[in-house]
Amino acid sequence: MNFDDAVRFTEILLGLAFLQQSLEHLRGANDGRWLFLLRMVLSLLLVIGVQTPWVCVALVVLGLLMLRWFQGPYNGGSDRMSLLILCGLCLHYFVPTLRLQEAVFGYVALQLVLSYFIAGWAKIVNPEWRNGRALRDVFLFSAYPVSESVRAWAQHPRLLWVMSWAVMLFELLFPLTLATQMTLMIGLAIAACFHLANACLFGFNRFFWIWLAAYPSILWLQQRIM
Amino acid sequence: MLKTLKLLLPALMPSWRFFDVIAPSPRIEFALLENAQEVPQHWQEFRTRPVHLSLGEMLKRLFWNPEWNESLFLVSCAERLMQYPTEHSHQEILKRIVAENARQGEGAAYVQFRLVFLHREGAEVQKDVTYISSVYRRQP
Repeated sequence: MNFDDAVRFTEILLGLAFLQQSLEHLRGANDGRWLFLLRMVLSLLLVIGVQTPWVCVALVVLGLLMLRWFQGPYNGGSDRMSLLILCGLCLHYFVPTLRLQEAVFGYVALQLVLSYFIAGWAKIVNPEWRNGRALRDVFLFSAYPVSESVRAWAQHPRLLWVMSWAVMLFELLFPLTLATQMTLMIGLAIAACFHLANACLFGFNRFFWIWLAAYPSILWLQQRIM
Repeated sequence: MLKTLKLLLPALMPSWRFFDVIAPSPRIEFALLENAQEVPQHWQEFRTRPVHLSLGEMLKRLFWNPEWNESLFLVSCAERLMQYPTEHSHQEILKRIVAENARQGEGAAYVQFRLVFLHREGAEVQKDVTYISSVYRRQP
């Protein structure tokens, strides 16, 4: 994937993810609807590709206003990844050389790799993750299982031990998938399935869409450095 | 400006330490009261989860999941209330409880909420009440 295509794909996927997020905010007891209506218009422009550098600037400003509005991220890690990709896209339009543009976009790709590797490292150094207790606790008493039947998975410690190791090994080994384009494609497919499972079991749907938006950057970086 | 920058920095240099430690987990409970002096006897959990969700419903939530995402935000507000209490976190929780219970509990003019944190002690899950709000009028 060449640089221009990777940037364009990122813009489209990011715009679609923002549209999905913004639509969700138009219901309920949220009195900041105007922020999200404006964000939907800008996201549409981002998807279509109209005045993209300035649309990105406006979306960054809006992102900062939302951080103030909610006194922090509304949706934790997914909002952070959203802002990271957005700031990367925005900055790449305003740096003077191609080399700097690549460095900025490459930073997004690097953070994607780190998002898996650091998460895996943080788990494997914890004995409770290694013996399966931590994942059992996630199902047992955390606020995340989407239903009582999903919470009941806590009663299957062997399954959760296997799942714990599968997650930790996948996250830790993800950087090795950069070896070839084929291994990276397989790694990203597994990663997408991992996010899909998280969306189904814990309701983290926004993570699924926003992590997908970062994939073009790593597909480009792999070709650039290998 | 400095505050905004402080909020932005974790996005530009994220820690990515998802679920490294399974911390005590908050639940929001509320009580509807007939008068401001009433001592709450019946605390109800706010937004209990369904007993079961089909695979189809889970996949539908991939595209449309506003209530759950709002609940995740309220989990963050509850955690913030314990770490660095602000009026913002308090109000975000209160206004959603009031909005969702507008048609419930006729005669109950007041509402109060509390935070319960669940954590594991040995093999048992323990519940600790860590925060109790003041009593508020449901309609001004």
